[in-house]
Amino acid sequence: MKKFVFQTVTFCLLVSLAFLLLLSNADGKTDAFYKRFTSPKQESLILGTSRAAQGVRPDVFKKHLDKDIYNYSFTVSNSPYGPAYFNSVKKKLNENSTNGVFILTVDPWSICSDTKDPNDSTNFRENNSFVGKTTFVNMNPNFEYLLENLAGQYHTVLNKMDGPMLLHDDGWLEVTIKMDSASVSKRLKSKLDTYRNDNLPKYKFSSVRLQYLKQTIQLLKPHGNVYLVRLPIHPEIYKIEQELMPQFDSIISDISPATNGYLNLTTRNSEFQYTDGNHVWKESAAEVSQIIAKWIKD
Amino acid sequence: MFLLMFSTLLDYYTGLKMQDAKSQKTKHFWFWLSIVVNLGFLGVFKYYNFFAESFAETVSHLGWQVSPLMIDVVLPVGISFYTFHGLSYVIDIYNNRIKAERNFVDYAVFVSFFPLLVAGPIERATHLLPQIKKPRIFDYSKAVDGLRQILWGLFKKVVIADNCAQFANQIFNNSAEMSGSTLVLGALFFTFQIYGDFSGYSDIALGTARLFGIELLRNFAFPYFSRDIAEFWRRWHISLSSWFKDYLYIPLGGSKGGNWMRIRNTFIIFIVSGFWHGANWTFIVWGFLNALFIMPSIIMKTNRSNMEIVAKGRLLPTVTELMQMMVTFSLTVFAWIFFRAESITHATQYIQNMFAGLFSKAGYVNTLNFIVWKTGLVIPVFLIAFIIIEWVGREEQYAIATLGMKWHKIFRWFFYVLLATLIMLYFGSKEEFIYFQF
Repeated sequence: MKKFVFQTVTFCLLVSLAFLLLLSNADGKTDAFYKRFTSPKQESLILGTSRAAQGVRPDVFKKHLDKDIYNYSFTVSNSPYGPAYFNSVKKKLNENSTNGVFILTVDPWSICSDTKDPNDSTNFRENNSFVGKTTFVNMNPNFEYLLENLAGQYHTVLNKMDGPMLLHDDGWLEVTIKMDSASVSKRLKSKLDTYRNDNLPKYKFSSVRLQYLKQTIQLLKPHGNVYLVRLPIHPEIYKIEQELMPQFDSIISDISPATNGYLNLTTRNSEFQYTDGNHVWKESAAEVSQIIAKWIKD
Repeated sequence: MFLLMFSTLLDYYTGLKMQDAKSQKTKHFWFWLSIVVNLGFLGVFKYYNFFAESFAETVSHLGWQVSPLMIDVVLPVGISFYTFHGLSYVIDIYNNRIKAERNFVDYAVFVSFFPLLVAGPIERATHLLPQIKKPRIFDYSKAVDGLRQILWGLFKKVVIADNCAQFANQIFNNSAEMSGSTLVLGALFFTFQIYGDFSGYSDIALGTARLFGIELLRNFAFPYFSRDIAEFWRRWHISLSSWFKDYLYIPLGGSKGGNWMRIRNTFIIFIVSGFWHGANWTFIVWGFLNALFIMPSIIMKTNRSNMEIVAKGRLLPTVTELMQMMVTFSLTVFAWIFFRAESITHATQYIQNMFAGLFSKAGYVNTLNFIVWKTGLVIPVFLIAFIIIEWVGREEQYAIATLGMKWHKIFRWFFYVLLATLIMLYFGSKEEFIYFQF
C-alpha cells in the first residue's frame, strides 16, 4: 500500500509540474487579457474598455512622450468604472510612482450599468469576471488567472491557431481582420443591432460608477497627471450614446477640473476607420494615440 | 434516488419471496410483480411521452386531433442500467440460476455500486455478488492496473471524445450548410466521439472498481477492428449485448427454430436494443439498420466466424482482413448517423446531402478548410495516435494494459505523465457522458 501511495503521489506531482510548465507557455495569443495580468506594477496606465484596449497604442506614446504607458483596459463587461476595476487598478499601480501619465478613457457605457438597479454595485457584472476575481495581477506566469479562466481551454496555450487578436507586451490589443467595405458594414450592422436592441434598453446611468471614476482619478492623481479622453466612434453608435446619456459630456466636464484635462474626440468621429463602429482600426488607433500624445505634450 | 431505493427494495424483497415461495404460482406472482413494476417505471419515465406523441401523430393521419397528456419529468440518471441489473437478478432467481441474496446491504451494493450505477457495465448477480461478499484485500498490481485503465479511459473521454464532440456537433447542427465530404467527416467524428465517450467511461468504471478489488464485466473489446457486424456486436457494449442474448434472444427461442426464427429474433433484439437507448425513432432505426447489416451472416450462419481478435499475434492484418474491417467500420459509421441525428428527417437529409455532395470538388476544398481552420492538426494527430495505440493493444483487456511494460521505467512513466498532462490540458469542457442520458 505504501509503495502504491508513494508512486501515486509522485505521479500526481510530476503531472502537475508538467501541466504548469506547459501552462507557462501562455502568451499574447492565448487570449485577449492574460498578458495584462503578467506585467509588473506600472507607473503610467491607460484605462477603459475595449475601445481603449484596441484604440490607444502605448508604442505611439513611447515615441512622442518617451514614456511607457501600460494599456490596462479590458472590455465594457469587465472594466467599466466600479469597485472591481478600481481594486484591480490599485493593484496594478506602482505606489512609488510620482511622475506617471494616466489616460482614463470614458464613454457613457463605462459609467452605466445593466443591473436592475444601476447603483447596486454588489451585482455589477464585472464582480464575477476575471477583473473582479483575479487576486494577483502582476505575476508571471499567472497560474491563478490561467487556472480560473482557461478551464476547458488549457490546450490553447499549445495549440495556437492563427486568430485575429494579439495582445502586445505593452497591453495593446492588436486586432487584424478584413477591412473591405462589405465586411465592415456587416460588423457595423451587427454592432448597431446589439447596441440599439440589447444594450440601450438595459443600460442606465450609474452614479456609483461615476463615483468610482472620481475615486480612480483621486487614486492616480498623487502619482502623476491624469487625463480624461472620450475616444472616437462611428457616428451611428454615437447617436445611440447620445440617446443613452445626452448629458454625458457635461457630466465629464464637471469632473474634469480634478484632472489635467478632458479631450473629447467624438467631434472628429468621421476622421477615423472603425472595424465594427465601436472600435477604431489599428491604423486609426495610431492616429488617435498620436493626437492624444500631442494634446498631452502641449 | 427514491426510484433507485424503491427498485432495490422491490427486487430484494421479491427475490426473497420467490426463493421462499411454496408454490410455483406464488413464485410466478412475485416474479411478474417485479417485472411489471420495473418495466413500468422504465416505461413511464423513459417512454411514456414517446408513446403518447407517437399515438397522437398516428391518429392525426386518420384525421383525428388528439392532444396527449405529456409528463414533465427528468429522466432519472442510470434508470436503464439499474433496472436491467434488477431484472437480471429477478430472472436468474426465477430460473433457479442463483439463490436470492439475504443480506440487503450486499444486494444494495450490487445494484448501486457507484462506478457502474449511471452507465454500466450492466452486471450480473452471478458475477458481482460473490465478489461483494468476499473480503477485499489491497492488491498492488491490481490497483496499479486499475489506475492505468482509468488513465486510458480519461484520455479517451477528455482528449478524444470531447474534442471530436465539438466538431461533430458543429457539423451535425449545421448539416444543411455542409458539403458531402464534411458530412462524412462529421459522421467520423461522432463515431470516435461515441466510442471514446462510452468505452472511456467503461474503462474508468472498470479501473475504479479494480481499485476496490472488484472485477466488472468487460464492456468493449476494440469494436472498430471488427471484420463483420456480428463481431462488432460481440465487442461493443458487451454487457448489454449479452444481457439481451441471455434474457431476450434465448427465451424467444434463439436460433433453435430455424432460419426464420433466427431472423425474427435478431430483428427483435436489435430493435429493442435501439429502443433501450432512447425514446426516439432514430434509435429504433439505428437498431433496425444493425439488424439488417448482420442479416447476411445470420442467414449464411457465418456470424461466429470471427471469434478471435483480428490479426492475432501479427503486427498487421491481411489485405482481406483490412477490407473486411473497412466495410464493417463504414456500415457502423453510417448507422451512427441515425443515432446522433435529432430526428429521422434530420438523419435522412444528412445522408442525402452527404451522398449528393460526395463527388463535388468544391466540397472537398470546404472539408479541407474545415480541418485546417476549425479542427486544426492536433486533433487528427491525436486520433491517428489513438488508433495506433488501440491497434497495438488490441489483444489486451484495454489498449495500454501492457503497453510499455518492456520499456525502461522512465520511458513508461513519461508516457503515462504525457497522457495525464494531455488530459489536464483538455479537461474542463462541458461534454457530459452520452450514456448518462440512457
